[in-house]
Amino acid sequence: MGIFLIPIVIIVVLLFWVASTYNFFVSSKARIKAAVQEIGNQLKRQADLIPNLEASAKGYLKHEKGILKDLADARRAIASAVKSGDVQKMADAGSKVASVLPAISIAVEDNPELKGSEVVTKLMDELRDTSDKVMYARRLVIDLTADFNVRRVSLPSNIVANMFKFKELPGLITPESGDHMEVSSKDTKSPKVNL
Amino acid sequence: MQNIYEATSSNKMKSWVVVVGFLVFFTFVVYVLSQAFSVYMGYQPGGLGFVGMALIISGLMSFGSYYYSDKIILKISRAREADRKKDFQFYTVAENLSIASGLPKPRLYVIEDTALNAFATRRDPDHAVVVATTGLLSILSRTELEGVVAHELAHVKNYDIRLMSVVAVMVGTVALLGDMFLRMSFYGGRRGSSDKKSGQAGTVILVIGLIFAILSPIIAKMIQLAISRRREYLADASAIAITRQPGGLISALKKLGADREPLEAANKATAHLYIVNPFFGKKKGATSKFASLFNTHPPLTERITALEKMR
Repeated sequence: MGIFLIPIVIIVVLLFWVASTYNFFVSSKARIKAAVQEIGNQLKRQADLIPNLEASAKGYLKHEKGILKDLADARRAIASAVKSGDVQKMADAGSKVASVLPAISIAVEDNPELKGSEVVTKLMDELRDTSDKVMYARRLVIDLTADFNVRRVSLPSNIVANMFKFKELPGLITPESGDHMEVSSKDTKSPKVNL
Repeated sequence: MQNIYEATSSNKMKSWVVVVGFLVFFTFVVYVLSQAFSVYMGYQPGGLGFVGMALIISGLMSFGSYYYSDKIILKISRAREADRKKDFQFYTVAENLSIASGLPKPRLYVIEDTALNAFATRRDPDHAVVVATTGLLSILSRTELEGVVAHELAHVKNYDIRLMSVVAVMVGTVALLGDMFLRMSFYGGRRGSSDKKSGQAGTVILVIGLIFAILSPIIAKMIQLAISRRREYLADASAIAITRQPGGLISALKKLGADREPLEAANKATAHLYIVNPFFGKKKGATSKFASLFNTHPPLTERITALEKMR
């Protein structure tokens, strides 16, 4: 009796393990999909937010035509990316808003009267927040995909992955070669800062 | 040098070692004490009844703190719910980090207190509450605040509150068992002196039982604190896994360390929930190896050193 029980117990435990590992793979696939949608969701929020911010800060930034134009450009890029539904485009558009921020800080530095203005502070806070949100939404996709891909190839979960032929997921596609992967001789020099 | 994946997985590993060690210790103590009880009672399996009783009493006691501690703390500290307009940084940082970690956004509260501290409570990610003092919110930059909130969210994500509650039940059980055993040796005497077991073996078991009854509650408490400290390191590491900016948490911890004001709303039962020990103690350099055995949190300097390695 006891001798027959042992293999049965082992088989049951193994089945449970296979099932839970399989569930990990399918559920993290679903979560990655949801996380990608979250990027789109945050970008949509950003696209809706920017015109509001523009309208309220217009009076203060009227001499800074460049900033307003940058903001408008960023909004357009986001809107078209969200429409296209392409993950890659969406991810790229999100970084545009972040690049407007330094321009605003410079404008604030140059015009001390802007410094005290609550509207401009608010504008910067909101812009930073919305670009952070997009960045963190992308982070989640990256982390979940990395988790999935690591479990897919590492022992013992790779046995289950091979059994059900789970493919490696791309996550956010970053070209593996190109400028951002290379260090030019210019980059190796320490930067000069003039204060 | 350690990358963040190595840091979190090594921390998880160490934390498991401590927890498993605690389980082994708990089983061993319960076994020895129940043997000793049965010698007193004069029949064999009697001791287990006491273990069951102790588990139930201790469980009931911790149950209350598990389900209601957060409500009580929020009440006595007169915390108010955070508002997007008033607490813009806090609110949006928590919102963003819950996007990054894939958790639902926790409920946020603010305590009007100039002491610098923050804590997380509640039993699982769906019911998480993160609380910060106004002192903390006003002194930290956004990046630093991100580090602190990420640390609290990491506690939530790692189910630390649930783990610490289970450990507390077990520590309570050991303490109750030890107490019952000692009382019995004082008042009870040995029933059934005609017992056949009252030979040498019985005496040996009784002596061992006495030693265990005295020492094991202290040891259990010390292991509990060791688990708590381990979970702090783990929460630090997983916070960096969320923000990827060790610098933020490091400088936040430095600011928190420079502040010596104790938080009035804190009490012993909830000390392990805070980001830094809310009491500090007036004696400054009390971070000797022995004193640190009785702390819920590792010394700040050691946490900072661990974080520096992840840069």
